[in-house]
Amino acid sequence: MAPTIESVNQGNGGFEGNNKRSDRFVKATWKNKLTALVVDNGELCRVLERENLRAYGVETVAVETGEAAVELIASGSTFNLIFIDMYLPTMSGPEAVRQIRAMGARSKIIGLTAFITEKDEQDFFAAGIDEFFEKPLDPDWFVPIIREVDNQI
Amino acid sequence: MDGVAQLQKQLVDYTASLFQEGFLDEQFNQLQQLQDESNPDFVVEVVSLFFEDSERLLNELAKALEQKTIDFRKVDAHVHQFKGSSSSIGAQRVQKVCIAFRNYCEEQNIEGCLKCLQQVKHEYSLVKSKLETLFKIEKQLIAAGGSIPT
Repeated sequence: MAPTIESVNQGNGGFEGNNKRSDRFVKATWKNKLTALVVDNGELCRVLERENLRAYGVETVAVETGEAAVELIASGSTFNLIFIDMYLPTMSGPEAVRQIRAMGARSKIIGLTAFITEKDEQDFFAAGIDEFFEKPLDPDWFVPIIREVDNQI
Repeated sequence: MDGVAQLQKQLVDYTASLFQEGFLDEQFNQLQQLQDESNPDFVVEVVSLFFEDSERLLNELAKALEQKTIDFRKVDAHVHQFKGSSSSIGAQRVQKVCIAFRNYCEEQNIEGCLKCLQQVKHEYSLVKSKLETLFKIEKQLIAAGGSIPT
């Protein structure tokens, strides 16, 4: 069932999230400008995750590797949300998260995987993720997470 | 019924059948919702990516399972990717075989893996042909001056 259009706006009600931000029809608006980083080696998954987040009004950047994510954050970029795949080719998802947390990043980090296993779950949470979900991104679960982050700023 | 209306009906009916027969699931709807005027070919582009990815993964899987000593971690990594991509576009039947495939990988069951490889190849070629037909009808509809019903 397709989610209803989410609208979180300055309390004046009735605003349906119809603003065109960079030419695209955005399905939700937030109180704050929100940013996200997607880390996935698979082009298909990476593109879909990025586009899903952009469609919900989150400014999103996508990278292919754990190293690229770590470098981006080390260079000073900050993100409200990070969506990161467990299985990355060289530096693993958990290792990348460990390094990102070690740098003091307070982003909401969501670990992603194609198959959830207990061991992966333990490893990933131990590394510092906040949530763990099976792919693909579904507005049913990621929109509430975005809303929570938006409300906490 | 005029040409455009007929094509529209054909498109709607064909799409519905793909869902009914389990080839596609809700994720495909989500994908279609990401297409808009700023991104008019999004679905076709993403599905093309899926085709490329899948063909590469199927080759890698075949190679990995032909080895004298099978590296099951490698096989598992490919199946993992395949499940991720198929579930992301809503290719439900392919995704289901990937789940079985992974279980056989875990058990290091060569027979099971080989069987799943055949099955996933089969399911992939079915969904590929269905999606190509779907896109063909859409193209015909647009050429006839119609628009894709949302």
